Amino acid sequence: MLFNSLTFVVFFIVVVSAYWSMRSWPARKNLLVVASYIFYGAWNPPFAALLFGTTAMDFYLGRIMGKQERPEARKVWLVISVAVNLSMLGFFKYGNFLLENFQWVLSRGGIAYHPPHLDLFLPIGISFYTFHSLSYTLDIYRGVLKPTRSLRDFVLAVSFFPQLVAGPIVRAGDFLPQLAAPPKPQQGRFFWGLLLMTLGLFEKIVLADTLLAGPADTVFAYGGPLVALDSWAGVMAFAGQIFFDFAGYSICAIGAALCLGFHLKNNFRFPYAAIGFSDFWRRWHISLSTFLRDYLYIPIGGNRAGAARAMINLMIVMFIGGLWHGAAWTFVVWGLLHGSYLALEHLTKVIVGEATWTEHLPVKLLLGLGTYFAVCVAWVFFRAPDFTVATRMLSGMFGGHPHGDALLGTREILQIGIVTVFMFAVHWSLRDTTIEAAVNRMPVWVLTGLWTFMAAAILLTQGNSNAFIYFQF
Amino acid sequence: MRPWRGITVSVVMMLAVATAAWEIYCRSLGYAPTLNDTGDLWTEVRRRVEPESLVIVGDSRALFDSDLDELEKGLGKRPIQLAQPGSTAFPVLADLINDQSFHGTILCSVVPRLFFAPPGSPPMNRAEKSVRRAHTQTYAQRASHDLGIYLEKWFACMKQDDLTLGALLEQLPIPNRPNAHVPPKLPPYFASLNRGRRARMVEQCAQPGKLQDRVKHGWIPLFTPPPPPSFIPPEKFGKMMHDAFEARFADTKALVDKLRARGGKIVFVRFPLSGDLKALEDRTTPRTTTWDRLLKETATPGIHFEDFPELADFTCPEWSHLSAGDSVEFTKRLVPHLRAALGAGSVASSR
Repeated sequence: MLFNSLTFVVFFIVVVSAYWSMRSWPARKNLLVVASYIFYGAWNPPFAALLFGTTAMDFYLGRIMGKQERPEARKVWLVISVAVNLSMLGFFKYGNFLLENFQWVLSRGGIAYHPPHLDLFLPIGISFYTFHSLSYTLDIYRGVLKPTRSLRDFVLAVSFFPQLVAGPIVRAGDFLPQLAAPPKPQQGRFFWGLLLMTLGLFEKIVLADTLLAGPADTVFAYGGPLVALDSWAGVMAFAGQIFFDFAGYSICAIGAALCLGFHLKNNFRFPYAAIGFSDFWRRWHISLSTFLRDYLYIPIGGNRAGAARAMINLMIVMFIGGLWHGAAWTFVVWGLLHGSYLALEHLTKVIVGEATWTEHLPVKLLLGLGTYFAVCVAWVFFRAPDFTVATRMLSGMFGGHPHGDALLGTREILQIGIVTVFMFAVHWSLRDTTIEAAVNRMPVWVLTGLWTFMAAAILLTQGNSNAFIYFQF
Repeated sequence: MRPWRGITVSVVMMLAVATAAWEIYCRSLGYAPTLNDTGDLWTEVRRRVEPESLVIVGDSRALFDSDLDELEKGLGKRPIQLAQPGSTAFPVLADLINDQSFHGTILCSVVPRLFFAPPGSPPMNRAEKSVRRAHTQTYAQRASHDLGIYLEKWFACMKQDDLTLGALLEQLPIPNRPNAHVPPKLPPYFASLNRGRRARMVEQCAQPGKLQDRVKHGWIPLFTPPPPPSFIPPEKFGKMMHDAFEARFADTKALVDKLRARGGKIVFVRFPLSGDLKALEDRTTPRTTTWDRLLKETATPGIHFEDFPELADFTCPEWSHLSAGDSVEFTKRLVPHLRAALGAGSVASSR
């Protein structure tokens, strides 16, 4: 079920009404479990069984792990949990990718091997719920979380419908404590949730789908060389599209959860106002970057063993981060590019140290633009279907096709330009604050007008139901 | 603490007023409530196909010009309308015929520029998208479609082709760079559609006027062959197009043979067109190299409107489709030819 669909509107009204009209807290939690499985099963019912299987396994492994006194024994159970979760993810998401690469390696050795193509459907959101579930056993192993005694609570923590299929990646440790006692109804929190849902849908439906997706698709689907203007316009359209698409989903999820009395952490903090790449990753897909930091970067040594080792660790983490997004080498290159950006930044800081001159606004703006520029270069590999398209796009962006084709209409270029400038203005003006603080400072009439404008624009687009980009991950 | 209740009530009220004003304005422009021709509506109709069904496939001419009531009266079976605007019949034909249980009757409209459209072209993509939707539609998408139908029946402003934000932006008169390869715009709203996908040209378009002119002059750029892409040598591109064209004959023949082997029937139909568009089609896709060859190579009966005076006696108001009234009369006159083409029993009904 998509947030931007009529089915979800009806579903959400029914669930919220039933939820707040129930008195019993266990009954309300049962309702949310059933609703979450309906939400997920509405795509493909058999995959709901897979979701439950993964969840139940981690619940019981967590319980066994919690009973172990010896760290070695706990480690064994953790390895089992990680291995089963990642095998499941690997089978569905990376099965064909691994086979194709195995075939390629054999062919280099002169062995002709033709594996059958595995006709696999990728269970929607598997990368997200695997991480939701895995965070539970990882935190029990680290000793920061005690196993829950309620299977129902854990099932709800993993499958809670607002964050189930496209994040934020909510750790069991953050969600389970919220299930201990019922949230008190709060009018302000509920309406704030509705406002966030409107904002999220506006970002997704109006900005991402209506204004940016078309030109980005046109440019990346073109089979020939493009002039620099069209190449850059296409990449900037995608940079905006993926932000509004994914941040829109996250904001919707946070809003929907708030309407039910739950708090989910922010997943984005105005990332296109980032100054540098570590700043970018503190602002972009925060739940993934902190997950990788806590469960991968720090355990493999982080920056504790010197600058060289820290740079290698950054590359390893971003390699995994790239692969997490999709089973293709283009995603790996995207991840490695970000890894090398981070490593270079780390090296620069080691050499130069903290420079006060970087605190001046013009310098900040320049560094911010540089960061955006480098992030856009990396987006080319994220969006391009293969390396041929990616290299052709990069060549176009850097003036390699002065006589290439012009593809986009003036209106499309204007749309991209206006939305990008608007996005920068918002990100830079709010980079050191939060949406909540900005809304609280806003005069009531401005807030009312803005909310009406966003809702009217959503209605005018008729809520076309394109899937969110991150569903495929 | 913000006055949230007051803010929310104000937003809802302003939204209601804005929606009502927009609806009134859309109706004043001549829009009326009608269904959108979405992949979900196509899927709903596709789901009605049974092994012995009578199915119409092809392009918008089959969609506008076939009266389902008249066909039912004349052929004894209500047809299922699967023709889609701006699309080729081929993927739908393949989908139907590759279903081993199907042994019904197919009426296939042929507009050469669409029927022979190569893989990857917009006419192929549109048809493939609908076929894909029919096979992958989720329960949630189906429910959203059912809910949307009720809104579309009541609100004129729900017309997706013209009145969404994206469509409105496309209508802005902003000139493009002279060298930009921007595809021509699709014509504006000119039909109503019901749940059985019976399309009828709106009266505003059937009568001379601004809308008719806009639609009429929209066809020429759409049906003019685009220049070969700059990044493929012309001779290589010419060969690619030639190969795709030849492959379509061979693939269609294979499908037709497969259908016939199971007792199914198929007839090709060329619906009327007029004016400059007819001249353009005759020039760029001559009958001898397209229609005549298709019938010969597939050994299939075909009805070309030009071959029968009673079918040629129609004028398409906007050059490409018949008016709602004429579509009924045209279908009445088409039925005897269909019966003759399909032979004994007319519509396939048994193996």
